[in-house]
Amino acid sequence: MKIKILVLAIFYLIGFFNLLYAANSEKVDQISKNLRCLICQGQSVYDSQSDFALSMKILIQNKIDEGKNDEQIYEFLKSKYGEWIVYDPEINKNTVLLWVLPLILFVFGGILILRKVSIK
Amino acid sequence: MLNQIGNYSLYIALLSSILIIIQSPILLKRNNINVSGRIFSLISIQSLMIIISFITLIIAFIISDFSNETVYNNSHTSKPLFYKISGSWGNHEGSLLLWLLVLSIFLLIFTITSKSLSNQYRILTLFFQEIIILGFLLFILFTSNPFMSLFPIPNEGTGLNPILQDPALAIHPPILYLGYVGTSIIFSSSLAALISGSVNKSWAKHIKNWVLVSWIFLSIGILLGSIWAYYELGWGGFWFWDPVENVSLMPWFCLTALFHTILILEKREMFHSWAVILSITTFSLSMSGTFLVRSGILNSIHTFANDPSRGVFILCFLFILITLSIFIYFFYQNKIKNNFTNTYIVSKETAVLINNLFMMFFLSVVLIGTVYPIFLEVVNNDKISVGPPFYHKLIVPFMIPFLIFMAIGPNFNWIKDKINKINLQQLLFFILSIIVSFIFLKRVGISYLFSLPLFVASFFLFFITIKDFSVKKTNLSQKISHFGFSLFILSVLVNGVLAKEYSSNMKVGDERKFLNKTIKFESLKINENKNYQSLEANFKITDKNNSINLKPEVRVYDQPQTITSEADIESTLYSDNFLVFNILKNDGFYNVRYQIKPFMIWIWISIILISFGGILSIVKKNG
Repeated sequence: MKIKILVLAIFYLIGFFNLLYAANSEKVDQISKNLRCLICQGQSVYDSQSDFALSMKILIQNKIDEGKNDEQIYEFLKSKYGEWIVYDPEINKNTVLLWVLPLILFVFGGILILRKVSIK
Repeated sequence: MLNQIGNYSLYIALLSSILIIIQSPILLKRNNINVSGRIFSLISIQSLMIIISFITLIIAFIISDFSNETVYNNSHTSKPLFYKISGSWGNHEGSLLLWLLVLSIFLLIFTITSKSLSNQYRILTLFFQEIIILGFLLFILFTSNPFMSLFPIPNEGTGLNPILQDPALAIHPPILYLGYVGTSIIFSSSLAALISGSVNKSWAKHIKNWVLVSWIFLSIGILLGSIWAYYELGWGGFWFWDPVENVSLMPWFCLTALFHTILILEKREMFHSWAVILSITTFSLSMSGTFLVRSGILNSIHTFANDPSRGVFILCFLFILITLSIFIYFFYQNKIKNNFTNTYIVSKETAVLINNLFMMFFLSVVLIGTVYPIFLEVVNNDKISVGPPFYHKLIVPFMIPFLIFMAIGPNFNWIKDKINKINLQQLLFFILSIIVSFIFLKRVGISYLFSLPLFVASFFLFFITIKDFSVKKTNLSQKISHFGFSLFILSVLVNGVLAKEYSSNMKVGDERKFLNKTIKFESLKINENKNYQSLEANFKITDKNNSINLKPEVRVYDQPQTITSEADIESTLYSDNFLVFNILKNDGFYNVRYQIKPFMIWIWISIILISFGGILSIVKKNG
């Protein structure tokens, strides 16, 4: 029972905050913050002033003007530059462990503690 | 000449290391021999030799001795003296020598300060520490020797990466290394305590200081790195979840967990094996950190010197150390007392366990996020990037229960407490936090539905930690650190929510409106400096009441040729004004980024407060 509640609570929190993360700011900024500047060392497109980043921002703006939604823009960029360009890896068979492993560890640790301590 | 002195002293240090390792088992058998005899002199000689070699390297940098390959690759005669000196550890070879220096000095301090403890424990600690020192000596001498000679001697060096020519970054590595290397003592001594069957109160009491010292240096080291990233990298952020940043954060989580566990071990004789496991993990993470940064495996903005072949050596060394410690752990594990019997769910002990659970979770998120892409690429050649969104999504939701636990946990009593301890007073503070967060978010105009829980939790912790100052029960250092942490979370949140940014292409004389301010590009001038030219802009920012002038620069360094932008920041207690500009290709126009960052300075102050709590705890005990 305790364990069930723990697991449920975690999924609730995760779901909740994925909503939160989609908070509003300028759409181009929001998208470009999630993109790696491919020619820089560890900078996002948003933070970079390189030619690549600048043309990228224009590209994103054009796509928005065409009426594409975020999902479509990311898909387009991924097909063009590969998964490498997004900082927010989607969940698929390659990345499922990346997302789930920390959660499993948390649940596992939580169970361990609950078993060791006495409730009374 | 200098190269020879450096080389020879390192070889003598190597020899002493081997001698100590050979002699320790013999000394262990003869129980009543005092460590302060021959072994102590060997350790002193070793430290002295390593100090000499380090000073030699610094001298080589100061006098620009280009017969030394490291100096040739990383220095230049036109560099200011300060950066000539800091350049000696701003490169791969020198930074490893610094690691070694700290290792041996820490061992010397350990030997001197542990005289009251059992001989067996001390010798075993020395033994493990010397194995680490030996590993580093071999690594330095055979793969990364800072004293390689060049012939013919070049006239001029190639210079230090200009991005590193900065005061914060000059002292950042030594401070961070003090933290990293401090964990080696914790590692060695936990193994020694394990073997000698003395994982107990007195061990906890002794090692607590080392845990604190490493933790303080690590915290300050991370702080310096963040401050540097804030004003030098030019995007106005201070943390990018960059692999190299993550690598310093991982041992921090582990040390924080270890420190809390050690407190319980000291007071209540519990969690023995967990403390040992954490000690081993902390050091493994510090070593892996060095490995990951130095090997060039990570794609990161901070990787200035890298060479994969060296990585193989550290990887093997790390593998040996970890295997060795796991082996020792399982072999001697039965010597550890284990009593979990008297733990109740509402007690200080459980509160610490919950703290540890969260620390381990944050650690696992950062660890998996950092290493996973590397493994994925090796396994099936897929390249993925794991960046800020990933970490935020996984860490932020867990922050809420964590902050609430952190607020109520420290007020629990030992052994067993009543559940109705979550009393009226706390409830009132909780309601107050809801009201404050609600009003705040409403005024700011953020969709409070989603941000509200996070703000409530942080305000709750903030109020409770302030209130706790009036309670006599807990100690002052804890209150300061915990208050510092609540302040940190709150400043980061408020900063994140209220930060405003404006970006535009401007030329001299242009004026732009932003919010209620006017940004005017007044002038541009060229300055000649010792080793760079700078383009200094003058911006005037006016609002209703006052005006400030910000003078960001673009620097063109000649050795090696690099362009850097220096932001100009005006800090007040309420808000930072951050301005940076870049050269654009089309004539006359510059890309200007202006940011208003509220409460920025409180992020730095809060981290200083967190560390100060630790310092106070050491001073109070010894004074």
